[in-house]
Amino acid sequence: MPLDTSAYSLALLRVDGRRWNELRRMHAQIRTQAAADGSSYLEMGHTKVMCVVTGPSEPGPRRSAVGASGGTGVGGGSGEAAQAEVAVSIVIAGFSSVDRKRTARGDKRILEMQSTISNALAGSLHTHLYPHSAINISLHVLSQDGSLLAALINAATLACVDAGIPMTDYVAACTAGSTSTYAAGDEAADPLLDLNQQEEQELPGLTVATLGESDRVAVLVCESRVQVSRLEGMLAVAVDGCKQVREILDRVVRDKGRRMVQEGTIEKGVGVNDMEID
Amino acid sequence: MPREIEPSLNEKQFVLQALQEKFRLDGRQFDQYRPLELTFGDQYGVADVAFGKTKILAKASAEVTVPYADRPLDGVFAIATELSPMASPAFEVNRPTETEVLLSRLLEKTVRRSGALDTESLCLVAGQKCWSIRVDVHVLSHDGNLIDTACFAVVAALRHFRKPDTSVEGGILTVYTPAEREPVPLSWLHSPFCVTWSFYGDRGEIAVLDATWTEEQIRVASCTISLNRHGEICQISKLGGTPVEAVALLQCTSIALTKAKDFSVFLDKKLAEDTKKRNIGGFMAELRSENDR
Repeated sequence: MPLDTSAYSLALLRVDGRRWNELRRMHAQIRTQAAADGSSYLEMGHTKVMCVVTGPSEPGPRRSAVGASGGTGVGGGSGEAAQAEVAVSIVIAGFSSVDRKRTARGDKRILEMQSTISNALAGSLHTHLYPHSAINISLHVLSQDGSLLAALINAATLACVDAGIPMTDYVAACTAGSTSTYAAGDEAADPLLDLNQQEEQELPGLTVATLGESDRVAVLVCESRVQVSRLEGMLAVAVDGCKQVREILDRVVRDKGRRMVQEGTIEKGVGVNDMEID
Repeated sequence: MPREIEPSLNEKQFVLQALQEKFRLDGRQFDQYRPLELTFGDQYGVADVAFGKTKILAKASAEVTVPYADRPLDGVFAIATELSPMASPAFEVNRPTETEVLLSRLLEKTVRRSGALDTESLCLVAGQKCWSIRVDVHVLSHDGNLIDTACFAVVAALRHFRKPDTSVEGGILTVYTPAEREPVPLSWLHSPFCVTWSFYGDRGEIAVLDATWTEEQIRVASCTISLNRHGEICQISKLGGTPVEAVALLQCTSIALTKAKDFSVFLDKKLAEDTKKRNIGGFMAELRSENDR
């Protein structure tokens, strides 16, 4: 281990100098690729991802079995395609992390992430408006520094907004952890918001995605051993973090919209008035 | 690719309305499991688990291999899941469906990554020889809730399994047959169990345990929580679907903990019964020099 997160108790500062409830710098852009229907670029600290959305369009002849979900069904197949199919593909660049590992094609971890993102977005997108069609979301990971799944979900949400696919609300995601490992009696353990790579490796953590401003959890993934009593604190912090993330995403979308109206790229339409354009 | 037949609209509405009125088709409570059956095979490490009509056979086996170069002190532990067409026409051989990928990933996270089996104890000669423990999961009949059943079967099989005793003398590794030396159990650290909740309703407000296949097909979201009896979460996965209130998920977790404790007690009881059955006559029978002839 290069750095020890146990130093936290001394000054209540984390390895990168944040307090327990601080997000890393989050920077996002939408409409980055002119050729795509929707695209986005998102940074959460040093985790950098790009997303391109094509569709809703006619589905191609080849359909992947994994990472594609029709509508809200989790158990069942999409049947006679009454809803658009959300297909997600993730490419992790070889240079994205310190050790240059080649990821195998059928890597189950990536397949799981694909299916998670696909199911999470299918719950928010109004897929029933586009029967017999496909929404292809391709995600590219440029740099990894923890909270990968959260960054991917956020980028995919932004790109879907840019593509103009009707959706209920933003699906905003972030991670949370706990300062101590699974020692049961440790009451002093603080929950931490938005883990970076080191914290993710050393501490128990979970990824949460919520729908809009509500407390409703669309994705909850915990892959480490942790006491049950620790879950409540972590979940509360993560849900709160998701709300902050949603604000950031919302600001990105509104800023872009305002700029496009000012530049004259699009006309100021009806209903845009409530966007508070000055 | 063959597809599973979806339940008809009438069927869906019927089940959903019954759930709204707090009824399930088989008359169970929402947080009640189907009757659980567990039988061990004649061999060590074979467990046959049935939750209602869902039936899974898990078989653990061991062989001596060379450890991975980057982990010379660890043994090899793998869980292989195969959903054959025997369980459902939607499953094909050699083409993993999404269900299969998620199932094997879940088992891996629950049993392997949570450190239930001490892989360091499988090392025989550092960097040269180690045990490779493999669990094969066979789905014999599919009526929903494959995850909980498979996890229970894997844990039961591994707890029941005995690997041949070995000794290393002067750099020579000897593996003893069961006749020479009694096989030894694995070094087992804790028993995680999966508990899967299925959610129904527009806001996922109805939560149901141990869904049957029909119920599973019409659920809007699911959440699998893996815990052991010490109250440690090994893994949680709610992979998308309709969003569910965070508070409801916390309640689900605390109920899941009681279920995991029940499973743990049940498994301990069954293992004790099995040991008793194998050990006829007790220690005295072993010491006796007479035989049937």
